[in-house]
Amino acid sequence: MSQSPRPEIVVDGYAPRRPRWIELATSADHKDLGRILVTASLGFLFLAVIEMLLMRLQLAIPENGFLSPVTFNRMLSTYGASAVFFFALPLVFGLFYYVTPLQIGARGTALPRLGQIGVALFAAGATVLYAALLFTPSEAGVNPLAPLSELTFLANNGVDAWVTATGLATLGFVLISIDLTTTVRNMRAPGMAWRRLPVFAWSASVSGWLMLFIGPVLLAALTMLMIDRNYDGIFFADGAGGAPLLWQHLSWIFFTGVYMTVLIFALGAISEIVATFARRPLLNRPVVMGALAAIAPIGTLAWMQNMYTAPIGTGWMYFAMLMSLALIVPVGLVVFNLLATMIGGALQMRAPLLFAAGAISAVSIGLAAELEQSMVAAAWQLKNTVDATAATHFALVGGAVFGGFAALHYWFPKMTGRTMGESLARISFWTMGAGILLAFVPLFFAGAEHGQVIDAYKFFDGTGVNVWNLLASIGSLVLAIGIVLTLVNAIASRENGPLAGHDPWGGDSLEWFALSPPDPHNFDVLPDVRGARPMRDIREAIAHRDSRAAEAPVRSSEPVA
Amino acid sequence: MAPHSPGTDQIDTLLWIGFVAAAIIVVAINVALVYAIRRYRAGRDAEPRSAEGGRRLQFRVGAALTAFAALVFVLAVIFTDKARETPSSGDAGLTATSEQIEEGEPLTIRATGQQWLWRYDYPNGAFSYYKLVVPADTAVELELVTTDVIHTWDVPSLSGKRDAVPGKTHRVTFRADEEGVYQGSSATLSGQAYAAMRTAVEVVSPAEYEAYTEKLLADIETAQDRVVSLIEEGKAP
Repeated sequence: MSQSPRPEIVVDGYAPRRPRWIELATSADHKDLGRILVTASLGFLFLAVIEMLLMRLQLAIPENGFLSPVTFNRMLSTYGASAVFFFALPLVFGLFYYVTPLQIGARGTALPRLGQIGVALFAAGATVLYAALLFTPSEAGVNPLAPLSELTFLANNGVDAWVTATGLATLGFVLISIDLTTTVRNMRAPGMAWRRLPVFAWSASVSGWLMLFIGPVLLAALTMLMIDRNYDGIFFADGAGGAPLLWQHLSWIFFTGVYMTVLIFALGAISEIVATFARRPLLNRPVVMGALAAIAPIGTLAWMQNMYTAPIGTGWMYFAMLMSLALIVPVGLVVFNLLATMIGGALQMRAPLLFAAGAISAVSIGLAAELEQSMVAAAWQLKNTVDATAATHFALVGGAVFGGFAALHYWFPKMTGRTMGESLARISFWTMGAGILLAFVPLFFAGAEHGQVIDAYKFFDGTGVNVWNLLASIGSLVLAIGIVLTLVNAIASRENGPLAGHDPWGGDSLEWFALSPPDPHNFDVLPDVRGARPMRDIREAIAHRDSRAAEAPVRSSEPVA
Repeated sequence: MAPHSPGTDQIDTLLWIGFVAAAIIVVAINVALVYAIRRYRAGRDAEPRSAEGGRRLQFRVGAALTAFAALVFVLAVIFTDKARETPSSGDAGLTATSEQIEEGEPLTIRATGQQWLWRYDYPNGAFSYYKLVVPADTAVELELVTTDVIHTWDVPSLSGKRDAVPGKTHRVTFRADEEGVYQGSSATLSGQAYAAMRTAVEVVSPAEYEAYTEKLLADIETAQDRVVSLIEEGKAP
């Protein structure tokens, strides 16, 4: 049989059927939905940063009158909802949703309509939250504890708006999680056994399952609060058969679970980035995957770590402390293997690895401070002081902003076809690094040494915290500038960044096999996965074919994979 | 905040233990990170060392982490149990000759959180707002209750925080070792004037305490009589 080349069909893109925004708004494609979530999350990050700056401006000097108490509480409530429900969660689930099907070699997701409805619910929730900001937003704080959030004490509709906004978004994330877990379970490419799953896809699956457990818990609590407020309910009313502490249990299960989701996301993304830029596979993948799966239940079971000052039994406090401290083992094992992969690797300090290293560093400070917050008697002093603010922000800004930016820089070429500007990324990184230290280290002193309390719209002269608060305010401005620089970088690089090609970093997982940005159906040819590093196998097959082709007189046109 | 009660002495020790444990974690991770980046930074052509499995090393690391967590847990339980103990009154404290206290029992004062003030009810029937006066070297038990939302009683020198939750009575005990004024605040967002909802504990000698509460009671009764007389004489509506 003669080796005549097969005819090639050249397709110059697909003819656009409708305007781009209509395509986006009606798309059920995981890449479109993922991009919507990631873009929206970065927008809400900007808004959250503005809100944080306004609050820090109020707290720059003692007994400041810049914001009224009511305005401060409204900023605080909107900031908390923005940071958790409209920045951290959509960024995490947006990246999971975009990258995971590509990593497992799927042509789409299993239940695309669920994802589409999920994103629509998220958008509806965001609209409610920021529409309420124009009228009467919630004044009940980051976690609106009953009975303050009850109708008796906050009679306007602010809390109702908060409940609606967070409830819609949470329902959206639950639907997306159903699609995500189903996709990873059922749509892996031939040969993609669980043990060959990329670590990031694994953390997507773990986070999805976790959201399936914690999301409904918050939805139940929000429904109860809604009934209490609007239909004479008694769920959180003392003396009528309800209990104020019920809200704390349910809401803290959710918020602790979100904390773990951010942690699992960050560690998963960092694992991919470290392996790629150290140019060697992640050490002890099975251990890392097992540890990531262990973080979800262990960490979430520590929800009462937030309730040490509440009237609950000491046994429950010790249980929460046991779970919090048990978290040291899986988190420690993941971090150990990340560092062990870096030590002995050939590190290319590109922007993703830089942000990943920053995330490890910031999260280490946050979790170490959280360890002290976990020891019951120590927490009796530290809880609800600005020490807790600092601990939470080191862990969550470390995980969601530094870790999220690492993931953003890493997968931005895949999403847009262009790389983010490297020098601006470096400037942004060092600004953010200086900012986070300057913004939150002083709060450790103000909280642990001087007992400055959390969520307060002012502090008093003569309590020894003036300097710390001024430093923190300056630091948060520096942090904000650093964050905005990366947002600017992302916007500028979308159109003008250097062209990336399909595999700019030499990654090992299958998303780098697809085009940048990928076709709607992701892959022309579904690769046959033979190991945990399928893209490396494909690269070797190409090299092998090319060397054979150099020897052979006629160029082979067999498909690569 | 300098500790001034047996409970806060224990908490202070635990805070230092926690600080050391936290510092170990931060230093270990960040030193390894900086070492890795400085030592193994590579040009495009550098080859990584081949990766080794090291299953035994994983077990060792896991065991070390478990031991570290267990040690922290045990120390935290020990010091928490000590910090929870109700202290007994010292020799210089209020004695059972006072009508306000029983032999071997702490001086019980009711602390009521309300938007946005703390009210203290003394055993003799007197009450005060914002400022709590207690005798030195005497075991004091506060019964924390609230009339509206959740408030957290927080005087860091004397005790850890405790929440006053609707429908529950939460107890906090301390024994102030030195006379003086200790500042405190509320530590759970309770609405508009939350930041202003502060409190102060003035620790005085037992004799001064008795004199203060008796005068307080007499003043309250005088004020009450005056209100009654003003209304009955028609001078006030």
